[in-house]
Amino acid sequence: MLFKSNFVLEINNNSIMKRALLALVVSLIVLASTALWFFKMEKSVTPPELLTFGIIIVLVGFGLYFAYMRFTGARRNEPPEDELSKRMLQKTAAWSYYISLYMWVFMIWLKDRVTLDTEQVLGAGILSMAVIFFLCWVVIRIRGLRNE
Amino acid sequence: MNNRIREFRARHDMTQDDLAKRVNVRRETIVFLEKNKYNPSLKLAHDIAMVFGVAIEEIFLFDT
Repeated sequence: MLFKSNFVLEINNNSIMKRALLALVVSLIVLASTALWFFKMEKSVTPPELLTFGIIIVLVGFGLYFAYMRFTGARRNEPPEDELSKRMLQKTAAWSYYISLYMWVFMIWLKDRVTLDTEQVLGAGILSMAVIFFLCWVVIRIRGLRNE
Repeated sequence: MNNRIREFRARHDMTQDDLAKRVNVRRETIVFLEKNKYNPSLKLAHDIAMVFGVAIEEIFLFDT
């Protein structure tokens, strides 16, 4: 009980923990709503829906990884952000913004050719933006930020 | 730009974690620096040089 109250106190007093907790809560909410959607489905799952579930699971995994890294960093008394992480985030945001613009142009082009509801287009677009952000982050981590 | 951080760290018997704490960055930043995947800011380069007690140009080697 004492351990639990100390842990809660630590979370309340620490902004790093708050951001990690936020990522954790958002990931769990997304996971719970996806599970609810999956189990409430009346028809059998189609391949596009299965792909959507897969992408959501990957993104939730990314969120949980982010939260885990924040927690472990905070436990090691590391700063929550430093110049590398800030520049990496800026670069990821810039790349994903440019790529997302092209993705939306593609979605508009696709909408004229394939019968899709507006909700489906918006949902696919938002999910694609998240995937693009994730992929940009992975590429920048592998490539590094050298000579920029 | 290349650097000799790993060499100086070994000379001072310092781990990546120790150096990261001394210059107030995450350990990951030191890993990226040692792999030459990141060029540090002037402040970070200065802080690292101060930790090892040498001039910046002894640690960071500029391509000419």
